[in-house]
Amino acid sequence: MLRIENLKKRFAGKKALKGISFEVKRGVIHGLLGHNGAGKSTTLGIVLAMISADGGEVFIDGVSVQKEQVKALRKVGAIFEAPSFYDYMSGWENLKVLVGLSGKFDRGQALDIVERVGLSDRIHSKVGAYSHGMRQRLALAQALLPEPEILLLDEPTDGLDPEGIKWFRDFIVNLRNERGMTVLFNSHLLSEVELMCDRVSIIREGALVFEGDVNDLRDDRLGFKISAEPIDVLKSVVDEFGGEWLTKSRCLFPPEHRVANVVERLVGAGAKVHEVTPVRRSLEDVYLEFSKESSCS
Amino acid sequence: MFLSQLRGELRKLFARRRTYLGYVVFIVFEVLILTLWVKVGRDKVAELAERNLIPMEQLYSSLTSTYWIMGGSMFLLGSIYFALVGGDIVAKESEDGNLRMVLSRPVSRLRVLLLKYFAVVIYTVTFVIFVGITGYGMSVLALGAGGGLFVWNPNLYILSVYPEWGEGFIRLFVGACFMGLSMCVVSSLAFFFSCFKMKPAAATIMALSVFFIDFVLQNMPFLRGVKHVFITYRMENWAYLLQEEIPWARIVESYTILSGLNISLFIVGWMVFQSRDFKT
Repeated sequence: MLRIENLKKRFAGKKALKGISFEVKRGVIHGLLGHNGAGKSTTLGIVLAMISADGGEVFIDGVSVQKEQVKALRKVGAIFEAPSFYDYMSGWENLKVLVGLSGKFDRGQALDIVERVGLSDRIHSKVGAYSHGMRQRLALAQALLPEPEILLLDEPTDGLDPEGIKWFRDFIVNLRNERGMTVLFNSHLLSEVELMCDRVSIIREGALVFEGDVNDLRDDRLGFKISAEPIDVLKSVVDEFGGEWLTKSRCLFPPEHRVANVVERLVGAGAKVHEVTPVRRSLEDVYLEFSKESSCS
Repeated sequence: MFLSQLRGELRKLFARRRTYLGYVVFIVFEVLILTLWVKVGRDKVAELAERNLIPMEQLYSSLTSTYWIMGGSMFLLGSIYFALVGGDIVAKESEDGNLRMVLSRPVSRLRVLLLKYFAVVIYTVTFVIFVGITGYGMSVLALGAGGGLFVWNPNLYILSVYPEWGEGFIRLFVGACFMGLSMCVVSSLAFFFSCFKMKPAAATIMALSVFFIDFVLQNMPFLRGVKHVFITYRMENWAYLLQEEIPWARIVESYTILSGLNISLFIVGWMVFQSRDFKT
């Protein structure tokens, strides 16, 4: 659905993107992760033709954004962090003006979307009186009109309260499930990406350092934690298997050992095992790993 | 589709309070000038009429006072509001971040600029006509509906008298329309600067600076021989429509030059806008 090929961009001589390439498949929620200034927003800006690329090309459903911007963007809806509307106009008027730029404004379709995003009661109020959460809902409504096939979200949950974040996340996941919407979700919030995305690309200092399925990352075990007593027995088993102390009575064992072997050894030595918990690698672990690697290199 | 998008652009423009600032100031100004005209000016006008053998009803009439309101104020006072609106139209949206929302839609930058430019032109022309209509309406209330039109423009050497209300009215109305076209140059200048990466206030000030520098130079005595090269001189040429023998060749020449300037400013502004990066 979205193909990014070898994007390069410099700002005032400094390389912002160093040849980024990745693909977002149809019906997938794809996370674009990176710290502030990593190049995420620049990538999104180039996808939306707001920023010109020094090299490379972006294709939306096979249409080049650089060569046929208007045609390519017909299938796109976009939401930005802190969306800026015309505060002196109502939400409805804002929708009319913005959606009108894409073609004809369909009143029925707009009413339907406004209801879906939960803004029916306030849609005729001035946007200047909207809360951040309401602005984000209005941004979502304008992005979904007329009928995009791909949504580009640039840190959309920044500044939202926990309820607002959950609502937004559920809404996007439902869109993907019900309408097969493709989503490129740009964020530095690891937990959000982990909860929402199917695939993830990690950008660091303008370069792509990782791309893969979020589920694969989750299944990649780091090991298991065991809590047992007495401590001296646990200590001898830790020494034998090469574990790591987490607390006074809890240890982390590496994934190359089988849980059963460790537990058997503990029980055989007269220890009482209170808890055995598998430890999985979180997206945060992966992100920090790649951040460290690229910093070292 | 262009027309419905233009309606949207006009809706945005006229939904903002500051768009009406110029309207309010001009109404206040019209009230002020008419009060002075009635309270203080009557005797002076009678004196002038007697000295120049002009009938009093031509000088002290609603059409003549409308001419003074428009001709005397639009050039200097009106230009401030045209520069304000023209300077805001792109730069303010860029500063506020609205352009991100606009440019994320499937619409070319050229079309976005065309919509904004047409909106500014419509604002400018309708503003001038508004001042003409309200100025005339208030003049009628203050001085009565009848009377002719007396035109005096020492800069262009125009001295005309239209004793009949009908001819005076038509001349003044057509003149006002051309004055609107002239004032589009100020809007175009402000629009041009607005396309650059600068604050709206800076675009407004830049446009006004160019306009006033041109105006000051045009009025320098030692530059009178080359005044035809100045924009403000060409802009003043609307007044020739009030001359008894209309010099059409000069009017066509001036408005061709002004149109060329407007188009050039738009094209260069568009090229600057097209090459700009808008960070998300």
